[in-house]
Amino acid sequence: MSVSWPSLDRRKAVLVAQRDLRDAVSELRLILAMVALTVAIPIGSAIGVRGLAYFGGGTAVVDRLALVGAFFVVFIPASFSLVLALESFVGERERTTLEVLVSTPLKEVEIYAGKVAAVLAISLALCYGGLIVYCLATFTGLGYFPLSTLIALALSTICQVGAMVAGAVIISLNARTMRAANVMASFIILPMSVVLQVEAALILLGRAEFLWGFAGLMIVLAAVLLRMGLDGFSREALLAREVGLRQPVKRAAAALRTAFTNRPGLFRLLWHGRIPLLIAAAGLPIGAEAGYIAGLTGAIPGSVVKPVLSSLIQASGEDPGAVAAIAIFSHNVLAFALALPLAVLTAGVSGFLLTFAPGFLLGYAASQSSWALALSGVFPNGLVEIPAAVIAGGLAIRVGAASIHMEPSGGWTARVLTATADYLRALRWLVPALAVAAALEVRLG
Amino acid sequence: MTVLEVTGLAKRYGDVLALTDLTVNVAEGACLVLLGRNGAGKTTALRCMAGVLTPTAGSVRVDGIDAAAEPAAVRERVGLMPELPGLYERMSARTYLDYFGSIYDLPAQIRTRRIESLLELFELSDAADRWLGSYSKGMRQKVALIRATLHRPRLILADEPTSALDPDSARRAWVYLKDLQKDGCALVICTHSMEEAENLSGEIGIMSAGRALAVGDLSELRRKSGLQTRRELRELPTLQDIYLAIVGNHRDQHERELAESRSA
Repeated sequence: MSVSWPSLDRRKAVLVAQRDLRDAVSELRLILAMVALTVAIPIGSAIGVRGLAYFGGGTAVVDRLALVGAFFVVFIPASFSLVLALESFVGERERTTLEVLVSTPLKEVEIYAGKVAAVLAISLALCYGGLIVYCLATFTGLGYFPLSTLIALALSTICQVGAMVAGAVIISLNARTMRAANVMASFIILPMSVVLQVEAALILLGRAEFLWGFAGLMIVLAAVLLRMGLDGFSREALLAREVGLRQPVKRAAAALRTAFTNRPGLFRLLWHGRIPLLIAAAGLPIGAEAGYIAGLTGAIPGSVVKPVLSSLIQASGEDPGAVAAIAIFSHNVLAFALALPLAVLTAGVSGFLLTFAPGFLLGYAASQSSWALALSGVFPNGLVEIPAAVIAGGLAIRVGAASIHMEPSGGWTARVLTATADYLRALRWLVPALAVAAALEVRLG
Repeated sequence: MTVLEVTGLAKRYGDVLALTDLTVNVAEGACLVLLGRNGAGKTTALRCMAGVLTPTAGSVRVDGIDAAAEPAAVRERVGLMPELPGLYERMSARTYLDYFGSIYDLPAQIRTRRIESLLELFELSDAADRWLGSYSKGMRQKVALIRATLHRPRLILADEPTSALDPDSARRAWVYLKDLQKDGCALVICTHSMEEAENLSGEIGIMSAGRALAVGDLSELRRKSGLQTRRELRELPTLQDIYLAIVGNHRDQHERELAESRSA
């Protein structure tokens, strides 16, 4: 799987973007509504913040609220991007104008880049227009201007808009009508609402460095989704998949059967997936190092990690009978079971966390006592548990990799199903291994 | 000189075989008309010939260029007019045609001159600055035809190009297409109108269930159909008679095969 960005004729992409922009701004009512929201919301928010400052709301509250207002101001125009992108891709597909465009010598990347650029230009103009109005109306004479936080917010907004646009492209490949696309848009809106809540919480925390970290993560997410959109956006996908969709249940059952048949045995599978396995294996020392540093520097408060550690110690120490073994076993099986669906949603990060999280706790425990003491806590059960976690983590990373890999010829579902089937088949060996590990932990740990 | 060479063309969508084993050649200035029921594979054939879809098997060459290897080069030489015009509703005809002319890298002066003369030819000059959304069905089809031919392609692929036109406009469109033929342009037309087929055609391909049942000129098809004269009028059978006879024979044979396979 090579990751290279195809070349494009910038003039052609600009032609497509110009037409889309002209189309978007040609409807007067839409323009008026967008401009009104861009101006009215910032002014309304600014009046609220200034009113609070005037009537003695307290500096800390006003400062925090001023930032939440900025978030609110960019959030609404950013959400337009999804509507605009769906209209640009699915709407055009439904009206058959996209078929005409793809029959010209334009490359896919030129059409894609032009359309994405047009949607980004409109959404970001509204976001930043609103933000400028808000900043002028709110911060003038307030004696407080959180530049770093606002830049981080502006940066993460670009990425959120990019992510939503790319998501809309992916939807357009699977939806033939705007109605279907609107329903499928929930798959973008729901995760994005979680992302926005996290962002709002970080703003309320008032730590600019967290917001910068969040912006960094959003850049990665947007890049992955934009790449997925580009890979999936093809003439073949847009035109060919309109037929051949008969008997969906039968097709789904056949796809499921195929995913489980003719797959290699466990050892061959592990050899084929050795790179994800190595990544998962690296999670343990990286996590241990991170946990150790976090423990020494106090970057993560003890009140957060210590309850987790003490509950783990209690689970293995207080009741050394079958109940404890079952509790440990159930906990580990649950972690393995959750890692699979989360791998699809987190692009395989959950697989990395299967080894990183225990490593982090181990490192943190070592920082509070010593490495020898911390390691004695995972011996001898770790000899079975850690390889099992590395295997499960590696296979979950493969599921995640399949979920973010698109090809012009399609086949996304088949690839994800095959990776999922491999994970489930491996559980036949891993679950008994976890049972053995739990027994060892209770008897000898 | 052969403009379009199609050899053993097949296209599969999932488990649906939309087109199989299509072999046709269209020379410079020649016209091939594809006839067939809905779902016969005509649109798929056109999309493959236009370098828009990649064939599952077989090959398509336009001016000797392989559509699978260099699809963009093929699309430069082809003008595709799909069944639905696919026009931008909030754009004037003039701006719309100028946009597509730019995509095909036509110099501004040539673009403007051609657009004006074609708008004039199809009696759209007065409406050229109105939004396309306000156009009638026939007017839209005329704009789509102008768009497909604006860059003077070597090969024009048109799916029912005159289905929405009044008889006078349809005749005008046929004359225009014949003029392009005289300039060396090859045509492939899908249609349900036998009048159109008889008017434009050199060769006719009759398709059913993704297969070309018969390809040839009118006299060859007449021979293949087994119809010598029209029974009632005692004159040569029309293309309509020939088409129904060939498709009907194929259907009878298909049903016989089905019955045999069931009894076996």
